[in-house]
Amino acid sequence: MIWLFFVLLSLMALSLMVLPLRTKLQPSAVPEDTTPAVLLDQLKEVKRDLERNIISEVEAKAAEQEIKRRILMQARKSSSRSTTTNTGGRVGVILGAVFVPLFAVGYYMTMGSPEIEGLAFADRASERQEAAQIADLSSQLYDRLISDPDGGPSEGWMLLGQTYSRMGRFEDAAAAFKVVSERPEADSGVFSMLAEALIYAEQGVVTPAAEAAIDRAMSINPDNPASVYYKALALSQKGESSRGYELLIARLNTADGFYPWMESLLVEANRIGAEIGKPQLSLADFAPMVNAPGPTTEDVANAQEMSDDDRQAFILSMVARLANRLEEEPGDLDGWMRLGNAYSVLGQTGAAIAAYERAEALTANAGAEDPRTQAIDDALSRLRP
Amino acid sequence: MTPEIGHFALALALAMAIVQSVLPILGAARGNILWMQSAKWSSLGQVFFTSIAFFALLQAFVTSDFTVKNVVENSHSLKPMLFKIAGTWGSHEGSLLLWVLILTVFGAAVSVFGANIPDSLKARTLSVQAWISVGFITFMLFTSNPFDRVFPPPIDGQDLNPLLQDVGLAMHPPLLYIGYVGFSIVFSFAVAALIEGRVDAAWARWVRPWTLAAWLSLTAGIALGSWWAYYELGWGGWWFWDPVENVSFMPWLMGTALLHSAIVTEKRDAFKSWTILLAILTFSLSLLGTFIVRSGLLTSVHAFAVDPERGLYILGLLAVSIGGSLALFAWRAPVMEPGGIFKPISREAGLLINNLLLATATGIVLFGTLYPLFYEALTGGQKLSVGPPFFNAAFIPIMLPLVFVMGIGPFLSWKRADLPGALQRLRFVAVLAVLATLAIWYIVRGGPVLGYLSILLAIWLFVATLKEWTVRIKLFDVPFAESRRRAANLPRSTYGMTLAHAGLAVAMFGFIGSSVWKTEEIVFVKPGSEIEIAGFNVTFEGLERVRGPNYVADQGRLTVIQDGEFVTELFPESRYYPVAESNTTESAIRSTMAGDLYASIARPASEEAGAGGTLTLRILYEPLVNFIWIGSAMLVLGGGLSLSDRRLRVGAPRRGSEKKISNASKVPAE
Repeated sequence: MIWLFFVLLSLMALSLMVLPLRTKLQPSAVPEDTTPAVLLDQLKEVKRDLERNIISEVEAKAAEQEIKRRILMQARKSSSRSTTTNTGGRVGVILGAVFVPLFAVGYYMTMGSPEIEGLAFADRASERQEAAQIADLSSQLYDRLISDPDGGPSEGWMLLGQTYSRMGRFEDAAAAFKVVSERPEADSGVFSMLAEALIYAEQGVVTPAAEAAIDRAMSINPDNPASVYYKALALSQKGESSRGYELLIARLNTADGFYPWMESLLVEANRIGAEIGKPQLSLADFAPMVNAPGPTTEDVANAQEMSDDDRQAFILSMVARLANRLEEEPGDLDGWMRLGNAYSVLGQTGAAIAAYERAEALTANAGAEDPRTQAIDDALSRLRP
Repeated sequence: MTPEIGHFALALALAMAIVQSVLPILGAARGNILWMQSAKWSSLGQVFFTSIAFFALLQAFVTSDFTVKNVVENSHSLKPMLFKIAGTWGSHEGSLLLWVLILTVFGAAVSVFGANIPDSLKARTLSVQAWISVGFITFMLFTSNPFDRVFPPPIDGQDLNPLLQDVGLAMHPPLLYIGYVGFSIVFSFAVAALIEGRVDAAWARWVRPWTLAAWLSLTAGIALGSWWAYYELGWGGWWFWDPVENVSFMPWLMGTALLHSAIVTEKRDAFKSWTILLAILTFSLSLLGTFIVRSGLLTSVHAFAVDPERGLYILGLLAVSIGGSLALFAWRAPVMEPGGIFKPISREAGLLINNLLLATATGIVLFGTLYPLFYEALTGGQKLSVGPPFFNAAFIPIMLPLVFVMGIGPFLSWKRADLPGALQRLRFVAVLAVLATLAIWYIVRGGPVLGYLSILLAIWLFVATLKEWTVRIKLFDVPFAESRRRAANLPRSTYGMTLAHAGLAVAMFGFIGSSVWKTEEIVFVKPGSEIEIAGFNVTFEGLERVRGPNYVADQGRLTVIQDGEFVTELFPESRYYPVAESNTTESAIRSTMAGDLYASIARPASEEAGAGGTLTLRILYEPLVNFIWIGSAMLVLGGGLSLSDRRLRVGAPRRGSEKKISNASKVPAE
């Protein structure tokens, strides 16, 4: 829809710019025509002034003579001046006209935000109501916690802090996390959340208070990814970028598979890395199985142009390709999971179960907290009769 | 979606400006009429697309679309509609968009109304105008984009300063900008003339209406701004020599000089370099004003140094446009043929003095405005302020001789004037002015000599201006009917001059009265307190809490008695705006031609005062202050009359256009 408007505006601009080609060219009065006219007008004005007695007869005569002299000079000049005009150059106008929409689209592609809809205040009543409800609930929660003689349960304070964070009230969030951080059961996660709220409250600046919280989080659990992230940020803000960078890389290296937090750490590592001249890294450098070769874009494009039968055959060949590869590299857990999924989509339940079982065998060394273990269990219980 | 359409439209306008900055000027150099005339359509296109952008932003403000960052930062859903609309140009980004819109309107106006301007000059002028467009649109798009988005949008906006919630202010920036930016077209004409190497009577005549239009709207803008400071800010004054005021005043002074200099170029083919230079400098000062106000330099040089992106960009623009045009001037000005010669006593000489004095006055204001900035930068943050004492001491002694010459100038004839004759005619004027001043001194008593000298000159100017008019219509020299016929036949531009000069004299009465003879009392009051000021007896009756649409206020009640008779009641307010969490003062004014009685109240910071507590009452008597607004209105009206003169509008007599048509038919159409 919005692109339709852009096309429309571009067309209007284009047609305005080529309009000179359509209109009849009429050179307007050239200077040689108008200057004497202005001078003639002045001559009349001298006469008027004389009538009004503003200037004397002698002065008027002198002024008239001078203006006449100037008219003559002008006439002489205009005969020496060439008045040729050429009317070519259509290509220049067309190039200029084409440039206009091209430039605008080029600029807009990099700077515009076509994905964001406009949103009038009047149309956001439900959102306001929701926000008001959340604000209301959070203030109720706060009242309950604050009036609790035992200081309120830690889960309650953590929930309050997280709610405040989502509402953008980072100072209030920090205050809520602070309550829990002063209790004996405070773990590394509490301190890293406290640090995060403190940093957001200061528009991204790591204050000494935030750094103290980060250090506590690190001392309790040096592997907590959030505390590693903020420690690196603190170091980079203090000018110790390479130490921060090494910290991030070390933590990424100890990861034994793919976890969602790795992306944020990697972005931060690349940001700091760019400052100190390190090469840009990708997830594949730390979690290789994530980027295992799947169908290429070319394959997908091909598949879209096929008939249903062809497509079915194509998918089967892809699956067979994956199965062959896995026979050669039987240790690829993610590969077996993808294969199992593919078979279950194709309706080959037996083959799917077999693939998932191969995957399940591999999870023994992946560790219990690996989210993939759960995913494989779910798939197997779904597929098994 | 609308904000994105606005953003895209602005990109299209920029692209058109880029084409227009190249094609027409090349066309003028190569005699290519097609390229020259392409400027017409691209200049219209620029207005069209910039208007789309402007209305898209307006729509976002009106509907409180908080996905637009600029709306978030400068509006609030609870704000009255009028001020939501005014918020469009109340912010840095929005005001730039307005700036560019006005810039493009002036460019398009030249291509629409400039039918008598030769193609080559018009093409060059429009190309130069497009250079300015390119500079400012890129500045906007890359450093201050009004269409930056926020997602997810915040629940509500962050309001606009309640001080700025005033009708006067809503209209102030647009008017000031029309003046500021209007001088851009004069600048473009000057640069085009330099490139073409041709400045003559016809050129001066083409440029004159544009100068007048810009000058009169700048005058109106400054007067409105001053009126706003006086009534809304509650500071009890109308001019503070504040940098923001100064930067609008400098282009006005230069523009006034330009207006007069262009007359000499038109009538006598002289002052060409002056006129061109003044045109360049006037717009340069407008740019400088935009830079100083928009870069954050005023708040603090230090703050500017921390986030200099915007400031550096405008500084670059300034360097290129001012430096470039002055370099062009230095290179090309000697090429211009010298114009008509004149004697030391002549209308030209009078206008030369006018140019010199106005330029000097501008220099003084410029120095006083920039000195604190340089001082802060050089001393590493030490602040210093150059206030009214400096300006009064340096500026007024320059202006008084100017007013004196203004009285005589119109009596002098071109080329060689008869000074004794002119003074002879002004003999009665001088005697009248001296007598009137003595009478005023006898009534008023007290006050500085400079005050009486200024009064003397204001009366001199007023009466001399009237006298000049009576001479023109030969009042009392010929039968009355003949005088009336002459009065009706006088060109409108003559009436424009008379009205504007008389307007300045009237405004001077206001300037002098309200600054030299102002009385002020600042006292602590309780209900029942009485104050004596300028012959008025003012009683503070008490305080009441009142509610407005988006504020609550403490309203004081004052009873004013003069010579035992009740005059009026005054209700000054101290307002609190809960959304913005800020306070403003709403002063109460009793306004008469003789002067304004002006009262404002404030809670003392230390005291917790409810109804019945102690308050600070500031009460002022400003004699003749309304003369300022009347005089300003006369200046604007005079400019308007002059602009409406047919001779100016047409630019050249009809015969020229007939010839043009016969010429045109000889050119083969494509």
